[in-house]
Amino acid sequence: MKLLVCIKQVPDLESRFKPNAEGVWYNETDLAWRMNEYDEYAVEQAVQLREKLGEGTELTVLSIGPDRVVEAVKKALAMGADNAVHIQDPAAAGKDPWQIASIIAAYAKDKGFDIIFTGMQSQDRGSAQVGVTVAEQLGFSCTTTIVGFECDGGNITAKRELEGGIKSVVKMKTPALVTCQLGLNVPRYPTLPNIMKAKKKEITAIPVADLLKDEALATTASFHPPAKKGGGIVLEGDTGVLVDQLIAILKDKTAVLR
Amino acid sequence: MFLDLTEEQKLIQDTARDFAKAELEPVAAALDQGSDRAPLLANLKKLAELGFMGLNVRSEYGGSEAGVIPFSLAITEIARACASTAVTVSVTNMVAEVIQAVGSEEQRKAYIPKICSGEYAAGGFALTETCAGSDPAGMCAQATDDGDSWVLNGTKIFITSAPYAGVFVVWAVTDKAAPKGKGISCFLVEAGTPGLVIGKEEKKMGQHASATNELIFDSCRVPKSALMGKLNDGFRIAAGELAGGRIGIGSLGLGVGLAAMDYATKYVTERVQFGQKVSNFQAIQWMIADAYTELEAARLLLMNAAYRKQAGKTFAKEASMAKMYATEAGNQACYKAIQMLGGYGYTQDFPVERYARDARITAIYEGTNEIQRMIISREILRNFS
Repeated sequence: MKLLVCIKQVPDLESRFKPNAEGVWYNETDLAWRMNEYDEYAVEQAVQLREKLGEGTELTVLSIGPDRVVEAVKKALAMGADNAVHIQDPAAAGKDPWQIASIIAAYAKDKGFDIIFTGMQSQDRGSAQVGVTVAEQLGFSCTTTIVGFECDGGNITAKRELEGGIKSVVKMKTPALVTCQLGLNVPRYPTLPNIMKAKKKEITAIPVADLLKDEALATTASFHPPAKKGGGIVLEGDTGVLVDQLIAILKDKTAVLR
Repeated sequence: MFLDLTEEQKLIQDTARDFAKAELEPVAAALDQGSDRAPLLANLKKLAELGFMGLNVRSEYGGSEAGVIPFSLAITEIARACASTAVTVSVTNMVAEVIQAVGSEEQRKAYIPKICSGEYAAGGFALTETCAGSDPAGMCAQATDDGDSWVLNGTKIFITSAPYAGVFVVWAVTDKAAPKGKGISCFLVEAGTPGLVIGKEEKKMGQHASATNELIFDSCRVPKSALMGKLNDGFRIAAGELAGGRIGIGSLGLGVGLAAMDYATKYVTERVQFGQKVSNFQAIQWMIADAYTELEAARLLLMNAAYRKQAGKTFAKEASMAKMYATEAGNQACYKAIQMLGGYGYTQDFPVERYARDARITAIYEGTNEIQRMIISREILRNFS
């Protein structure tokens, strides 16, 4: 079986974000980077399947971006992926989900992957479109936000989490793509010996120009922090009146008392 | 000159940081207060499984073969969460390294894999005695040749992890007539050996979760094969290996100092007095500037010492400089952090008093900072005479 897991490197979410000079994305200066959380679930699930299937299975990890994304790629290799593809693109952050998906699909289309794992969304852009768009472009079966995964031959059974905690079960045949959600598994820490061994695993570098043929379908017009609000409402006076005022505000402006 | 970490080093640092934040930090305060050591032992096992007990040990013995820089990075990250865990990891790594450096192939194969895998919760380094602290060559413990075995007698003190260490590196006098320091040998003694008694546990100011005990040798008989390195060459081994351990303790001091300042700095950006955040006051700003500058200098000294050791260069002076400076910077940072929190900093409702208690010993153990200054000045003066 051939498995592919697609990962994105994102800033640590505790970072302070500032718009870049063009005002369409964040400024990357001095940010600490790590693997997108949902992609860690994807890598863990792919590695678990890789371990279950054993010999004859190949797990490739793919990431698009500048040279710094190799660190995230190496983490996935240390977690258990066999080899990697780094699609070199210093301008990946400016591409829309359609273009990113097109790049992945262009790479994957003649490789014979049986299952592709992705995170359900990135923690920075959060479009949640790349996985499903890759599946659509490749003609793969697809289901999203999975919290359970089983694979028996060419049959996948995925458990999905819906709003309000409701679960659903989806069955589909390979080739298939799943997008992974919190709760699917607990990603392993890469062990230190595996981090050192990952150095020897192959990372194939492909310039993005070799794969990208599609124009963007959407462009980001503006990236900015929300406008600063005033200092809030200060209620003063008799306690009984205050309570009534507060309840009225909560009913009117929030969902707390509905 | 290249001052950045490699991708592998960054990944190891990230792994240590993520693990410390998720597994060590949540139990650190309770470990400091309580007597239940189970969470510490469970975390030591997990750290071993991840490869943190043999950071600079070759893979053929079960080590991670990651090098000295990752050792320093890992100890710092672990210490940011729990100094007791960090000292255990540091000493255990040192024990694995000393066996690798001077042990026979049989000794290496017998003990290092058990240390690296976590089969042994920890390793013990038994050098200090009541009469031999800063002056270990003055030790009294003896090993007597008794035909096919050695018989050890004497008492060691301040032995980290003694109740749960699987093996101890033990120094004892083997030639009483020899000049000072020339008649000491090094032995490997397994936990549970008859005559090896774990003595009383010290009640310490800090680092409570890490046990510190007496180790009593009461006619403790070990096989001839327990001798490690050459006969009567043990003191040189101790002196050499302590230099590597100092990188660990310096890294620990740095980690605790960073934890204290990170906590206090966040606090002063929230605490309001005189109608404004106290971070607006210059007195607080200078504490922040001074402490972080010193911690950054400490980090660079540690990286330099670690780099030199990893590159096979001499590093004793640099390790002593880094240990001395980093542990003093760490202590200063902790006391500044308490000051920044005011009265709250002195209470156990906030973690900085624990950091200060944990940091204090780093200026003392693995060679007091006064001994470090002796080593540094000796190395420098040698080039002037």
